[in-house]
Amino acid sequence: MASERPTPPVARPVVHRDVVCPFCGLGCDDLTVEEEPPTTLAVRSTDCPVACERFSRTPPAEPPRVAGVPVPLMEAVEAAAALLGAAQAPLVAGLGTDVDGARAALSLAERLGAVIDHALSDGLYRNLAVLQRTGWIATTLAELRNRCDLLLVAGPDPAALHPRLFERWVAPAPALQTPPSREVVFLCGEPLDATRTALSGLPVTVLVGDPAKIGDAAAVLAAALADPSRASGAAGIAARDIAALAERLRKARYAVVAWAAAAFASPHADLTVERLVRLVRDANRHTRCAGLPLAGHDNVVGVNQVCTWRFGVPLRTSLAGGMPLHDPHRFAWARYAEVADAVVWVSAFRPEVPAFPAGQTVIALAPPGTAMADEPAVFIPVGTPGIDHAAHIFRSDTVVALRARRLIDRGLPDAATVLKAIAAALPQEVPAC
Amino acid sequence: MLTKLAGGRVYDPANGRDGAVGDLFIQDGRIVADPGPGAAPDEVYDLSGRVVMAGAIDIHSHIAGGKVNIARLLMAEEHRAAAQEPCGCVGLATPSTHATGCRYAQMGYTAAFEPAMLPSNARHAHLEMADIPLIDTGGYLVLGNDDLLLELLASGAGEEVVADYVGFMLNATRSLAVKAVNPGGINAFKYNQRRLDVDETGPFHAITPRRILTALAGAVQRLGIPHPLHLHGFNLGVPGNVEATLDSIAAVDGLRLHLTHVQFHAYGMEGDRKFSSAAARVAEAVNGRPNISVDVGQIMFGQTVTASADTMAQMGNAGLAHPKKWVMMDIECDAGCGVVPFRYRDKAFVNALQWAIGLELFLLIEDPWRIFLTTDHPNGAPFTSYPELIRLLMDRDHRLARMAELHPALPEHTILGTLTREYSLGEIATMTRAAPARILGLTDRGHLGPGAVADITVYTDRPDRRAMFETPDLVFKDGRLIVRDGVVVAFLQGRTHVVEPAYDPTIESWMARRFDERMGQRLTHFRIAEDEMRGGAGLIRHACLPGAF
Repeated sequence: MASERPTPPVARPVVHRDVVCPFCGLGCDDLTVEEEPPTTLAVRSTDCPVACERFSRTPPAEPPRVAGVPVPLMEAVEAAAALLGAAQAPLVAGLGTDVDGARAALSLAERLGAVIDHALSDGLYRNLAVLQRTGWIATTLAELRNRCDLLLVAGPDPAALHPRLFERWVAPAPALQTPPSREVVFLCGEPLDATRTALSGLPVTVLVGDPAKIGDAAAVLAAALADPSRASGAAGIAARDIAALAERLRKARYAVVAWAAAAFASPHADLTVERLVRLVRDANRHTRCAGLPLAGHDNVVGVNQVCTWRFGVPLRTSLAGGMPLHDPHRFAWARYAEVADAVVWVSAFRPEVPAFPAGQTVIALAPPGTAMADEPAVFIPVGTPGIDHAAHIFRSDTVVALRARRLIDRGLPDAATVLKAIAAALPQEVPAC
Repeated sequence: MLTKLAGGRVYDPANGRDGAVGDLFIQDGRIVADPGPGAAPDEVYDLSGRVVMAGAIDIHSHIAGGKVNIARLLMAEEHRAAAQEPCGCVGLATPSTHATGCRYAQMGYTAAFEPAMLPSNARHAHLEMADIPLIDTGGYLVLGNDDLLLELLASGAGEEVVADYVGFMLNATRSLAVKAVNPGGINAFKYNQRRLDVDETGPFHAITPRRILTALAGAVQRLGIPHPLHLHGFNLGVPGNVEATLDSIAAVDGLRLHLTHVQFHAYGMEGDRKFSSAAARVAEAVNGRPNISVDVGQIMFGQTVTASADTMAQMGNAGLAHPKKWVMMDIECDAGCGVVPFRYRDKAFVNALQWAIGLELFLLIEDPWRIFLTTDHPNGAPFTSYPELIRLLMDRDHRLARMAELHPALPEHTILGTLTREYSLGEIATMTRAAPARILGLTDRGHLGPGAVADITVYTDRPDRRAMFETPDLVFKDGRLIVRDGVVVAFLQGRTHVVEPAYDPTIESWMARRFDERMGQRLTHFRIAEDEMRGGAGLIRHACLPGAF
């Protein structure tokens, strides 16, 4: 719409308050973000490295490219549809996107008969494998904050992946316990400096042990619950320390065992998760105890939720045979990428696309400025959820979905719009029940 | 466009029609009065001899939300088996959203309501329900174990403040009704209490379950929510729990109360097995009190999965898991969830008696306007078993034949064999259409009068009632034909039914402080905006009629 009058000067910087951070899965919704001309964002209310870094990466929009040549959006969409229409074994992965983006990506994948997976599902699958084999007892972040009097952190400090975990969910006194006391024990992992600072008012115990043997430590701890005096040591932790911890666990009113499975270094890390889950279950014979499996960067938890409700099965599923077939080993994206003949890679939260085998047909949807080892067949810049468009994302605990709002307008389409356009450009089929 | 459904036998209990032959006219998605001989319908369906009813409405079916997804994950085996079938989604205990919408529509249902939406999980539940095609949805908000409400009650807050809190929560979470699940019990379980009696003070908040129950029933009345408090009662599945069920009826003292999946709460402890039917006692209480309604939660035999917010009861049942795995979750200072796979076996005495207790309730409770057909999907059985259940209610010979196949000790423990009642088509239409709409306050659904939404199901009248109700000939949603001869022929999106009771917003400042101090979430972010619901085009609001407490 043309206007003769000059645009009135806008007061700069614009301050956005109570911003929802969509990046790491903790669902912090208290950020103050300043907008500086023309599209630069800076987080002012926290020094969380994830939030600060991710909000600050907002280069201007750039045009889509086909074979490296800038083209209009519709041309890129049609090129993508043409490549996908000819594919025999497509992979729709990355899936770093919001709920709407996930819906559109899964619909496209269903239409194509593709394999689906999220870029960061390794950690998620270490947990899901155990959930599906044995089940578990779990809790959510507000239960941790308000009821937990003993937090046992297993393995490497989860704050490396989820920086504000301790500040927001552990440092405040538990409002729903009398007395409102809390202590924190690190098992086979050491707290980061920032964690020590956040927990400076609380009793903290560090049981340094072999981080490759967290499962062993959990197993001896579970065994010691019945009779702590007969505890044995494991993972380099002395028997008397295990005994003392078992005693504390038995006396806890509401203990929480937290872990970030993505950080586990040992092979078959799902077995480590299984031992932690058993420890939690055994502790419930004496008191209340619950696990807190942490995951959730780039909305992996939300995308998995959408996939589960849409298909009845989680990610790492093939839609090639009409009925969804879930196989966490065969259909892990890194494995399937070796045999796929076309890849749709969605990475709306971060400007990163992995290197694929040479000659692989790649259609990449990612923020502007994404560096890629090889120029993909089609590159379509998309906006970031919670920056360029409103978005639904899930918190790590799988229960709480949040709505992040739009902060700036760089003129970028969201991933859902692009994915729907690609699906619409494919030859049409009648959906069936 | 004008559509005429000509010459069907119309079962429309809300408008007093019980099988009389007549025509229906549809225009712009609604039923209209007969436009007279001058009108030329664009489309005419000859329904001579067919049975015509409104679209069916399921008032209690766990179709969406966190626990449903956990159940899907836990039931990996059934999905793996289903993947081998040509269209293996039939009869799954944990169908996908797509299969949920299709199977309901294929059975002639046009709405189903998720009866256990946790406040913290409401946004998720709505996002998921928006992906269920073809049918309308809505959610009942689980309250009664939320620390905020318990704190309010323990502090001696008056009925008005409690109603304001409930009113805010219903608006913020876009809910249709209030559900209470084992009031106080889920909260007590978080303090390692494995049982809580109706008059026992909770471990942290000094408040009894009875007080929570009466406060919520009172708040529902005060706010004028059409649906009475939807109560999942005390001691689910425990022999002898009938006492607590009758006590709950007494506790609300004349206020309206809906007892859900009452089959699981109608157990005595008489006889050599210390497990007996108390259906007759429950039925007597319900028959004598017009303020009480129930849905049954019938069990049917086979593999399913139980999913409930009642962690206290589910932890007690975890040892019975089949397969042997289960999930418990303490959730966000408002409730919990327990998911336990279960196989009801027809040769097991307890399961056979549960089956008989459910049917006794159906047959002994006289008023079809106050008893609803549910299996508490998937807890008693998947909703796809409704046609078989309808046959059991309508066909005594079939019932007796089925009973003869069950555990041999069953006949001496149930009066089922002596009950001669057979439901009529009109009673089925009441129980599955007219009554659900009325008890939820959906004034333009569940009937076929002018102005009603044209959600219509057409059946061939077959003596095998299961076959009849399994595969309707035609199903219309909003006037559009969506199913023909059991096949989905068109896809459309349903709507979300909500209430928006008025309340005093002063309560919000207290809540906002509590959210900041405890929940790590701003109250403004907790509230679900209208444009989040099906892209802003999804809400159907139902009127509240506030009454004095």
